[in-house]
Amino acid sequence: MTLRRISAHLAALLPLALIAACGGAEDATESADPSSSSSTDISGTITLYTCVSDTTIQPVIEAFETANPDATVDLYRAPTADLNARVAGDVRSGGLQADVIWACDPLTMQDYADQDLVGGWTPETDIPSDVRTDDYVGVAVLYMVAVAAEGIAPPEAWSDLTDEEYADGVAVPDPGFAASALGALGYFAQDPDFGLEYYEALKDNGAVQVSAPDEVTNGVAEGIYKAGITNANSAYAAQSSGAPIEIVWPEPGAIAIYGPAALATEAAEPDTAKAFLSYITSEAGQTVIAEAGSYPTLEGVTGPTIPQDAPIVYPDWAALADQKDDLLADYQQIFGA
Amino acid sequence: MAFAAAMVVLVPLLVMARTVWVEGSADLDDILTSPGLGTAVKNTFLLAVAVTVLAVPLGTLLALALRRPDLPGRAFWRVAILLPVLVPDFVLGYSWLRAYGRAGFTDDLLGVHWSGVQGPVGVTVVVVVNAVPLVYLITAVGLAARAEPAMERAARVSGAGALSVLRTITLPLLAPAMATAAVLVFVLTLGTFAIPQVMGSPAGFNTITTRIYSNLARSSDPLAFTEAVTLALLLVVIAVLVVAPADSLLGPRLRVTRAATTDPTSLAGNNKASGRWAATGIGCYSLLAVGLPLLALMATAVTQAVGLPPTPENWTIANFLSVINARNGEALSRSVLLAAIAASVLVLLGGLVAALERGRSGRSVATLVTLTLVLPGSTLALGMLIAYGHWLGGTLAIILLAYIAKLWAIAHRPISGALDRLPPDELHASRVSGASPFTAIRTVVLRPLAPALLAAWLVCFLTALHEVTMSSLLYGPGSETLAVVVLNSAELGQVGATSALAVLITVVLLVPALGFWSVIRRLNRIPVTSSPTPTAPELARVG
Repeated sequence: MTLRRISAHLAALLPLALIAACGGAEDATESADPSSSSSTDISGTITLYTCVSDTTIQPVIEAFETANPDATVDLYRAPTADLNARVAGDVRSGGLQADVIWACDPLTMQDYADQDLVGGWTPETDIPSDVRTDDYVGVAVLYMVAVAAEGIAPPEAWSDLTDEEYADGVAVPDPGFAASALGALGYFAQDPDFGLEYYEALKDNGAVQVSAPDEVTNGVAEGIYKAGITNANSAYAAQSSGAPIEIVWPEPGAIAIYGPAALATEAAEPDTAKAFLSYITSEAGQTVIAEAGSYPTLEGVTGPTIPQDAPIVYPDWAALADQKDDLLADYQQIFGA
Repeated sequence: MAFAAAMVVLVPLLVMARTVWVEGSADLDDILTSPGLGTAVKNTFLLAVAVTVLAVPLGTLLALALRRPDLPGRAFWRVAILLPVLVPDFVLGYSWLRAYGRAGFTDDLLGVHWSGVQGPVGVTVVVVVNAVPLVYLITAVGLAARAEPAMERAARVSGAGALSVLRTITLPLLAPAMATAAVLVFVLTLGTFAIPQVMGSPAGFNTITTRIYSNLARSSDPLAFTEAVTLALLLVVIAVLVVAPADSLLGPRLRVTRAATTDPTSLAGNNKASGRWAATGIGCYSLLAVGLPLLALMATAVTQAVGLPPTPENWTIANFLSVINARNGEALSRSVLLAAIAASVLVLLGGLVAALERGRSGRSVATLVTLTLVLPGSTLALGMLIAYGHWLGGTLAIILLAYIAKLWAIAHRPISGALDRLPPDELHASRVSGASPFTAIRTVVLRPLAPALLAAWLVCFLTALHEVTMSSLLYGPGSETLAVVVLNSAELGQVGATSALAVLITVVLLVPALGFWSVIRRLNRIPVTSSPTPTAPELARVG
């Protein structure tokens, strides 16, 4: 009797699941119409590993599949830490499963290139050479900018954040957690006008470290912090939904962190993978990326908001690759407990 | 059984150890002496001790108070206390920040905030609140299985005070359940990640798990990867050092075989005033620990942008609409199915280990299956991926394996704690008296164990349902779980959408959870055969 009652309750779960599933399952994307013939041999299924946001990657895949009806892209999307762990796990259990990796920062990609997991080929494209190497091409950019809470004067320069005005009220993202924050750390450390002393001054001014740039944005919007360092996408997304924040591209410039894409050296479908890379670096692909809300790397393609004459600076990525472990250790001496 | 434990628990641990051995033996010294690691180990250990010391008495107290049938609003409080199980832990951490932090709920309304909420004290308190439902469930099941109301009444009649009855009769009988809860809470806290990450980071509060995650974030660099795996194994070593002695010392001492003489009528409180005090206490706890934070979460879910006051002109259902879509629906139904399968398999496996444990050899299996509980989800998933990714990569099967490895101990220990209610003679007696094996198990074994089995099933199901870290690392095309879609929206910083999803999960789950609770309650009331050995005719009738 009791068991029957238990199973009755179990059964009661199923309709709930079904109701949830019926939320509109019919609009699941129909891929590839097999009857339509394609003039190229771009076909088969490739696997894409990426950390770019879901809102960016979904339209890009959709557009690529529409342009190449015989090709399908299987997506694994996760935050950088999970993505890295997945790659590391793959490598130790029979090899990388991805045909294409689209990372969120050059340091991660350089590590993969150093291990011969990716590289050896890049598509023909007009994307400028300062966001590409022989092994990978930058397809999107994150800009680290400053945000200020309502009623707080926004900083005009990064150095303003160490002023009395922002005492006990600056949030910085953790470079041990977010690659974009590591890029910012790299830039400041490399610039003789800042150096690690900048972080010491921030800490002395009562600055607080939080995990991710999004937490900076939200914390400033909620009024927990007066100002903070975050990425432009997160800041503009919050502002456009009505969050009370000001966004500035401070002097000497917003810090640009490019997200590169690369071909896996052991790609199972190299031709389709190359076609995908060519597509996302083409004007058409870059336009889709821009319309989806990410900053494109191809000049002439208009992306999300960049204020007129906004200053932009670039870390020296090659140098940073060698410095990052020491930098991070030094940083943790400053912002650790 | 030993084979299953080896496949699910031992193999991932061994492949991780092998990875460190092969790739990192040269760096081991550097890793273990790296600056800050000592502090992180100390923080982790102190956090686990503090949470265990606070959560076990608190959960036990709640279970004892809620045992009184005359307690005002008893059914309501029982559900309120369990609510944190329904919310992913990172959401619970966030909701506390929204409730008590700077610019939070209390700050807006009363102008007071608790600055310590971002820091070690806040982390400890929220991990305690997160652990209390588990302690409560285990001790409530322990009470259902082991209480001796007749003895308690006899003591009261003979002039013993309420406290001395508690001390000399009730608590000693509850000791195995409390020990079970303590081991689980300690191990779970060692491996807890989301709450320290969300709440401890601003105060520079690091634990082993936050260091592991930081290393995973940079694990494209082989050195950082090795460090992550090494630190995960360090957690396993700490868990072994604590759990193995506890199991071998406490286990046999606390285990007594008793006849199933439980008189299920609860001990009636004879003091109205103390009942009111108890209800007030529980009410305050539920309101402050669960109610206000979840209210703050609700407010975030219905507010159109982060930072706007949660007043009607800023209300929106857009967050809910953005969450209700085909992908999330599919993921939710997939997660419900996966969690139900995982919970059912886990209860079976947990029960088998509990049965095995009665023999000497089984005890090591019991300790063994606790080891994967301590691993933060990301590293356990990594171990699974290295061990089985080649065959099962991207499938629901590998996620299921990871869930089983993570939750096996949580299923096993509560069942084990209730198993001494079941003297082996009764099973023999029923078989000798002609009951079929199935009948014997159904009537003799399952009935007295039902509360424990249900509690174990419930905890596993709910935990698996909103599990975040493992599935996000292991999923593939067609096996996206709810966690994956939660993370997709959380990572975009859409706090409103994430909150809306958490609220929806809570509501969707509350319905079956309430149903379950009424089942458990009814089971507690079923009179268990009152004679130590049921007579053959009785058994035959049931069969």
